[in-house]
Amino acid sequence: MSADLEHPVFLAPAPPRRRRDGAVAAALLAAATAIDLALDPHTSLASEAMMYVLAVVIASYTVSRTAAVLTAIGAVALLNFLFIPPRYTLQVDAQENVAALLAMLGVALAISHLAAVSRREAEAARLNERRARQLQELATELAASSTPGAGLLLAQRYLRGAFCGPFVIAPVAVDGELEVPHEHAALRDGLLACIREAAPLGPGTGRWPGLDAWYLPLKAQHHIGGAVCIQNVAARDAGGLEHAQAICALVGQALWRMKLAASMHAAEEQSQWHKAQNTFLAAISHDLRTPLASIVAAASSLQLQHDKLERPDQERLLATIVEEAGQLATLTENTLQLVRLEHAGELALDWQSVEEIVGAVLRRVRARDPARRIRSAIPRGLPLIKGDPVLLAQLLENLLDNALKYSADAIDLTAGTSGGRIELAVHDRGGGFAAGDDPGIFEPFRRGDRSGQRGTGLGLAVCRAIARAHGGELTRAARPGGGSSFVLLLPLDERQPAPDPT
Amino acid sequence: MSLRVLVIEDDREIRQLLQSSLGVEGFSVQTAVSASEAAAMLRHTLPDLVLLDLGLPDGDGADLVREIRRTHTVPVLIVSARHQEAEKVRLLDAGADDYLTKPFSVGELLARIRVALRHRGTAVAPSQRLHEHEGLRIDLEARCVSVDGQPVHLTPTEYKLLARLARNAGKVVTHRQLLLDVWGAEFAEHTHYLRLYMGQLRAKIERDPAEPRHLQTETGVGYRLAAG
Repeated sequence: MSADLEHPVFLAPAPPRRRRDGAVAAALLAAATAIDLALDPHTSLASEAMMYVLAVVIASYTVSRTAAVLTAIGAVALLNFLFIPPRYTLQVDAQENVAALLAMLGVALAISHLAAVSRREAEAARLNERRARQLQELATELAASSTPGAGLLLAQRYLRGAFCGPFVIAPVAVDGELEVPHEHAALRDGLLACIREAAPLGPGTGRWPGLDAWYLPLKAQHHIGGAVCIQNVAARDAGGLEHAQAICALVGQALWRMKLAASMHAAEEQSQWHKAQNTFLAAISHDLRTPLASIVAAASSLQLQHDKLERPDQERLLATIVEEAGQLATLTENTLQLVRLEHAGELALDWQSVEEIVGAVLRRVRARDPARRIRSAIPRGLPLIKGDPVLLAQLLENLLDNALKYSADAIDLTAGTSGGRIELAVHDRGGGFAAGDDPGIFEPFRRGDRSGQRGTGLGLAVCRAIARAHGGELTRAARPGGGSSFVLLLPLDERQPAPDPT
Repeated sequence: MSLRVLVIEDDREIRQLLQSSLGVEGFSVQTAVSASEAAAMLRHTLPDLVLLDLGLPDGDGADLVREIRRTHTVPVLIVSARHQEAEKVRLLDAGADDYLTKPFSVGELLARIRVALRHRGTAVAPSQRLHEHEGLRIDLEARCVSVDGQPVHLTPTEYKLLARLARNAGKVVTHRQLLLDVWGAEFAEHTHYLRLYMGQLRAKIERDPAEPRHLQTETGVGYRLAAG
């Protein structure tokens, strides 16, 4: 690939090299003349003429056709001037010598014509073979490339290898706009016209022959992925036009294939997303309906049977309403948080104190922990962390609420640093989870199997999403003796902020 | 004469609920459904307290708070949903006194209203000179602090920070307000100063700094010095 870039193979016909051809022709004539002069005393005029014919034959195979014809005329003139009597004049005295000269001119011209034809055919065959090989290589490389960018790079490489003139590749962007490089803005009209007509324009194409460039669409069926402009081209270079069209067709087909693949991929993702969304909705509507059913039942009972109910029953129903409504609020909050975290870009992180977050969370959670089962052990002087305090507080609150719900014993909240990270852990003695680490519990709407108990199905999913949004991780490990440890690891910024100078 | 509360809330159910639960507590309740209606009402009568819901149909209320603050010292309580942190802080910075996060219980609401009204009284009187609450004593005139009768030595910055919170005891003071008043405008974004100095203050004042009783953290908003 790089070899091609370093040594571009120009497959276009070689440009005429007049000076070199003139020199070669002159050298051949000079050599024939020198040999003839040297052998003059020993040979006949016929041999000398043959020497010149030889020079013309060699010239026919090495120089351009015009130069070969000029060589033939030169050879006849030299033979006449130097060797045919009267020598050193261009006059010819004998009739037979005139005939010989004319015959020699005829032979020389015929040979040079035949040589030129066969040479052109050989060159054309070689060129065609190299072009065919190039197309084959391009097709192979295009098949292996998967992005439009890579396809366009290949187009660039192969066009550079095939044509000496400058060229421009203008792809059609996703929004339908044609991307023409700034410095070639003048070519935009031609490129647009080429796309509009979906056909090549320029010399030899039958459309807009007055141009000095070919405009070729990158086309496959009805899809046009862009257009190419190849400059400094000639109308008679039919082979070159054909080759350029072949390259553009290959690239156009590849672009079309990539577009199809991309839309297929998008459709697949869309259907996956819909599937996940449906599971999510089914689960959430179940979790929303359960507390709602309790609230409606309790509230309607109070409304209809208020006078018949004993005071303690009324109190119990009211407590149910408040508790279940709280459950609904938590679930709603978690759902929203999960959706927000999924669609959030970078979080706005600022310096936070673990002690403060723990303090604020405990103040809220204690309302649901009248027996003070949560025991916290937060060492002093913990380093600050970068985070979103509201999210981190929610994470911790979810973990503690979970522990309160699923464990009847003491719950330990610990913090510390380990391996360049802050570690916050909630240890409970709950017995619901199977032994061993089960990553499934962090999936939305998975719960340990506890018949009769309801949880906030999203709590742990939200916790893990928050941990990951902070570049951290949340894991669960079984504790020796029963229960779980939920461990949150958050990255620690080594560059702790400096206290103020006072 | 009963205290007048202006409730600005666009949801009819919540508005009626607030009206009845505040009514039975002896408040005289006026309601408005939008910021513009509230502004019109405020031009005629001045309530003793404003309860302002975030996310009104005609704006977030920041302009209303600024409008109120230009002429009045009436306490303003913000009612917000949990994800409206940024707007909440903006309104507190604009001059609102405190906030409540939805969903809240009536008990919570009444407690906040009591604190807001009590401190309105002390703010009108010459500024607070002494803060005493559960063993913490801050004498703002003598500039001395003690816990359970034991004097506590504070650095000048620590004292400035604590005194700033004590002057608004019971009310939330935003990060920005604290940084502006204690360190100055050029440090308004240096929240890590607060984290470090509040940590030092908790270590000196609180029995259990991880579960403070005095220096309460309002996550994402600011701090509050607990008051009786």
